[in-house]
This record gives sequence, structure tokens and C-alpha cells, in this order.
Amino acid sequence: MIDGQYLLRRIGYSGAAFFVCVTITFFILHLMPGDYITNYLLSLSNTLPKEAVEQFYQQYGLDRPLPEQYMIYILNILQGNWGYSYQYGLPVFPMIMEKLSWSLVILLPATVTGILIGTVLGAWSGWKSGGKKDLALFNIMIVFRAIPEFWWAIMAVWIFAFYLQWFPLGGFTSISVLTSGMDPWDVLYHAILPIGLMASFIAAGNYYVMRNSMIAVIGEDYITTARAKGLDERAVLWRHALKNALLPMATMTTFQIAGIIMGNVFIETVFSWPGIGLLTTEALSIRDLPLLEGIFLLDALMTIGAMLTADILASYLDPRIRMGGHD
Amino acid sequence: MTRNILLLLSVAILCMYFAIAACAPFIAPYTASEITGAPLQPPGNGHLFGTNQVGQDIFSQLVYGAQITLVFGFGSALLSVAISTWAGTVLGYYGGRVDEVVCRILDVMMPIPTFPLLIVLTAFFNPGVIQVSILMGVLGSIHGIRLIRAPALSLSQTPFVEGAKSIGASDFHIISRHILPNLMPIVTTKFVSSSQHYLVMGVGLSFIGLWDTMTVDWGSMIQNAYAYGALSLGLWWWILPPGIAVVGISLALALAGYSLEEIFNPRVGVNRI
Repeated sequence: MIDGQYLLRRIGYSGAAFFVCVTITFFILHLMPGDYITNYLLSLSNTLPKEAVEQFYQQYGLDRPLPEQYMIYILNILQGNWGYSYQYGLPVFPMIMEKLSWSLVILLPATVTGILIGTVLGAWSGWKSGGKKDLALFNIMIVFRAIPEFWWAIMAVWIFAFYLQWFPLGGFTSISVLTSGMDPWDVLYHAILPIGLMASFIAAGNYYVMRNSMIAVIGEDYITTARAKGLDERAVLWRHALKNALLPMATMTTFQIAGIIMGNVFIETVFSWPGIGLLTTEALSIRDLPLLEGIFLLDALMTIGAMLTADILASYLDPRIRMGGHD
Repeated sequence: MTRNILLLLSVAILCMYFAIAACAPFIAPYTASEITGAPLQPPGNGHLFGTNQVGQDIFSQLVYGAQITLVFGFGSALLSVAISTWAGTVLGYYGGRVDEVVCRILDVMMPIPTFPLLIVLTAFFNPGVIQVSILMGVLGSIHGIRLIRAPALSLSQTPFVEGAKSIGASDFHIISRHILPNLMPIVTTKFVSSSQHYLVMGVGLSFIGLWDTMTVDWGSMIQNAYAYGALSLGLWWWILPPGIAVVGISLALALAGYSLEEIFNPRVGVNRI
């Protein structure tokens, strides 16, 4: 169970971590060599009027000393004002939300099915561990997981989209969107390949953790006891083994669900999917600082929140884990 | 039995990669950036895998790319494991005030998302191979210190350590002769799995183009071929060699990692005959 004082301290740490994270990203981004003008605008035109550059610096407050900029930034995010993108001139928060919704279209179904498939297969494999089918599945999963995700993506595009032509080569919608509007079926047709790929990849990761956890649980004394008192195998599996083996999965899935927010840079790059991952690399290459700060703020918020949630969840699910028991 | 064969096989594959990287100047007919002939040549005619869009020899790039890829894969893993083993052992063994302060700092550092931070830092430090390896190593060790500290703490309270203390053994002797050897299984497994992780992550970072694009490694080779449409032009000899090279070493490291884990943690492998 949770000790109230410990919980408060954990929330304090999380707040501190968030503050540290925001500070680090702010200073790194602002001290980074090159800015929006030199990295992007000057590549478009060799001569920029001096007044325009000065106005740009003034408009975004970049002419002020760095500590002052930092104070303004902190005050702004505390008030929910995440700034304006240099490139688009739009408020950062709605922009991120728009791209995020596109990332969610592929990541949400992929993560949910991946977690489900991985957990079920892992539980089955761990329960049957040592058998031929278990070993075959285990080896397939290890090999699948060891190959980089972006390489799978390239191969998938090559085989399924280029040679077999079952799926489009990339993008999120056909050109017909210009005349007949957005068609959900068309988006789904573009999304199937990335969703399938990410789901299998996530499933392979969860499979490994679930299988190990199941094997560890089967070796426990209470399983031997349950068998010794004459419970039939199904009751042992459902009532004793599965419930305990699922405990580590709670932590893992919390992180995976929080990780959805970051998008998947590799999959989005290969499939040209206009999600948050592509937005990040684009913003980084043209030094769109407010946009980057917004994205990292959201990432930090989600990761820190997930860590706290996972700890609380674990201590509720397993009363033996007293949160912060040792100190 | 199978796990020993698998382990030997993966070690053999790794040795082959290292040999290729070490003998790169003798194996490769050209240097990685040398323009050697007409662009986009098919294999043959002195170019084992043909040439890329500016006429560089793909085979030579592959061989020299092995050096870069192995440096950031193993270099960052070595750094990360070295930092976490040293710090974890010292913190776990001595405990006290320093341990408490470092643990609080780690508490604050732990929830910071690593991957976005890595991307930003990579862009910040004029990204070369060495800088990225150091960054990945240092960031990775934040989690590693925790991993090593816990067993080091429990080891330093075991009867054999107390016994060594009672007969007047020095701290250095106890740590190097009694604690470190018992930590070796964890450290080795962590090193192998981190190498695979960092290697794939580094190749990925270079694939999405966040590195110095002048450095030729397998990730930038794949990125280059992919961006110039090697797949849709049917130029498989351009994109497949670096991809297969990455897949090969990643598989070898993964198999080595799992085999080691089974050897050191018999419970996972107890049902595997």
C-alpha cells in the first residue's frame, strides 16, 4: 500500500524532474549553434533585410538576455501559453495536438493490439515453456525483435507496397482527397501497413517480458502448493499463475501507453506519415525552438506522469510492494 | 546445449565484424568518400556492390562503415557499463551520505525521457561519432547505476564480505576480489544488451539524418539509398548490404545476450532443453 508521506515525496520528485527537464531543454535549445534565421531562412534567400531580422528577434523576445527569456518562458508555460512556432506563426499547442492526432491514428491501434497479442502469446508460451511450440515461437520473437524497426519498415514497403502493390508506398491519404474530401477507408488503407508492423514489434517486446514473468511464477512455491492440493491445471493457470505473472506487465504497458505521445520517428519517416515524430525532426533541422520546447514539454510530462502512475499502480495491484518500503 | 552453440556462433559472428572493421584498409579497394567511377553502376566491374549516386564504391563504404558503427555501438555500451559499474559498486558498498544524495539526484533524473533528450543533445554538440557515443553512454548509465547498486548493496552485507572485513582486508581488495566478481554476470549481460540497443539506436539516429552527414556509417548509407529511391528504382545492391550488415550484428548481439541471460539466470532457461 501507499504511504501518504512517501507519495507526497514522489510527487515532489516528479515536479523537480519536470522542472529540471524543462530547464535543460530550454538552455540546450537556446545555446544550440545556428538559429531559425541562419539554418532555414538564409538557405532560402541569401540576403535578408536587416530590419526584418531585427524585427524577428524582437518579436520572439530573442534580443533579451537569456535568463530573462527563461523567466518569461517559465511564467508562460505555467499559464498554459506554450508560445508560437517560428515557421508557421501558429500557437504551438494546437499544432502539436493536430500532428499528435495523426500519430494516434496509427499508434493507438498498434499499441493496444501489440500489447494484447504479446501478453496472450507470452502467457501461453511461458505456461508451455520447454515445449517445441514454445521454443519455436520464442526464437521467432527474438529474431523479430533484434532487427531494427526501420529496417522492417523499409522491407515491408519494398515487398508489400512496391512489388506486390497491395498497399500505397507512403503518406496518409490518396490524391483524391483534393476532390472528394477525406475518406476514412482511404486513410485506413494507408495505415494498415504501419499499424501491422508496429503492432508486431510491440507484441514481440511484450511477449518476452510476459514469458519470463510466467516462467518465474511457475517456479514459485504457491504454484506447487496449488497443484499439490489437487487443483486442476486450468484453475492453477487462471487463478494463481496468470494473475501474478501479469504484475510486471502493468508497469510496462503504462510506459508504452505514455510513449504513444512521442510518436514513432522511424516508422513515420519511412512511411511519410505526418505525425509528431516527423514534426520533431523537421522542427529540429530548422531550429523552430518554441515548437521543439512544446514537444519536449509534452514528452517530459507524459514520461514523468507514467513513472508515477506505474509506481502507484504496482503498489495497488501487489500489496506486498509497499511503495518506498525500504526507506 | 543449444545455448552454448548459439553463444559460440554469435561470438564468432561478432569476431568477424571486428576483424572486418580492423582490417578495413586492406579489404576495401577504395576509401569511403573517394569518387571511383560512374554513378549508379550495378555490381561488377571492380565494384562488388556497385556505386552510389555520386560514384562512391558501396562495398568500400560498407567496410569502412563497420568501424564507425562498431565504435558507437560498443563504445557507448562500454562507457555506460563502466560508469554504472563503478558508481553502482562504490555507492552500494560505502553507502552513507553520498549514496543518499546521488540516489536523490537519480530520482530526479530517472523520469527524464532519454530519447528526445538524446535527439536534442545530438543536434547541440556538432554531432560526430565520438560525441554521440559519449552522450548515449552517459545518458544510459543513469538507469545502469540503479541496476548495479542494488546487488552491490546486498553483496556488501553478505557473510563473506563481513568475514573479509574482520580479517582486515582493505576496501579495494574486498571490492575487486569479492564484490566485482559476483557482479560480473549482471555486468556482462548488461554490456551485451546495451551494445545491441545503442548500435540499433545509433544506426536509427543516423538513418533519420540527425548526424553529421559526412560520416559514412550503415545508417547514413541506408538513409542515402532510401532517400534516392534505391527501392523504387530496383537498385537492391545499394540498400540491402548495409541493411543486412546491421541485421547480422544486431541478431548476433541479441542471441549472445539471451544466451548469457540463460546461463547466468538458470531459472529462465530451466525449461529449455
